[in-house]
Amino acid sequence: MDKMIICRCEEVTLGDIKDTAEQYDATAREIKLRTRAGMGYCGGRTCRPAVDKVLEDITGEKPGDQIPLKVQPPVRPVTLATLGGRTNDT
Amino acid sequence: MTHKQMRIIDHPVLGAMNERDIMTFTFDGHTYKGFKGDTIASALLANGIRQLRVHEERGTPRGIYCNIGHCFECRTTVNGVSGVRACLTPLKDGMVVTSGQTEPVPLNSEHDVDELPRTYTEFIQKQKAHEAGDSDA
Ligand code: FES
Repeated sequence: MDKMIICRCEEVTLGDIKDTAEQYDATAREIKLRTRAGMGYCGGRTCRPAVDKVLEDITGEKPGDQIPLKVQPPVRPVTLATLGGRTNDT
Repeated sequence: MTHKQMRIIDHPVLGAMNERDIMTFTFDGHTYKGFKGDTIASALLANGIRQLRVHEERGTPRGIYCNIGHCFECRTTVNGVSGVRACLTPLKDGMVVTSGQTEPVPLNSEHDVDELPRTYTEFIQKQKAHEAGDSDA
């Protein structure tokens, strides 16, 4: 069970999150920053609910408490070229 | 070539697959064929290829995960443009698709500083030695 990958982009397992929580007596935000769970290429858009739930179970912090682990725009990763007006033709 | 592919050619509800235009593309230097209307990922899957890239740090295999363009697990480099989602991009004739590779992780705190490669060549050598060691074990 501990080997289960929670965040695939950064390859963070349930065990990694548990160990970090235990070792550093960390808050949800700190665990996220230390393990990088939910901070990978997809921007946490895939694993977020799982990360939030695991962190809530471990730390007792509800998502959105005090310092929220908030979602940042944009909706999905885009290149600077796209922002600059290139139309993706591949 | 199509008979070797893994395809549902006669679906109980959708019926038989009709004739489709065949498109040729390459993935990591090998040439494959797919149909018009395939995504890159579905064409590769039909050719028996499930691994689209590796995790940049750990080197573990990655393929289709959500298949709806959400997770970016399937990203490949297409005609030189990186970060293209194979599950969402329609196949085109002559596409050159490449998967990713393991990248150096110079700032990983688990490394012993003296052990760090100082050049890319050294990194590759160390990685090869590491891989050889792994397969012996
Ligand atoms: S498999 Fe999730 S974005 Fe393609």
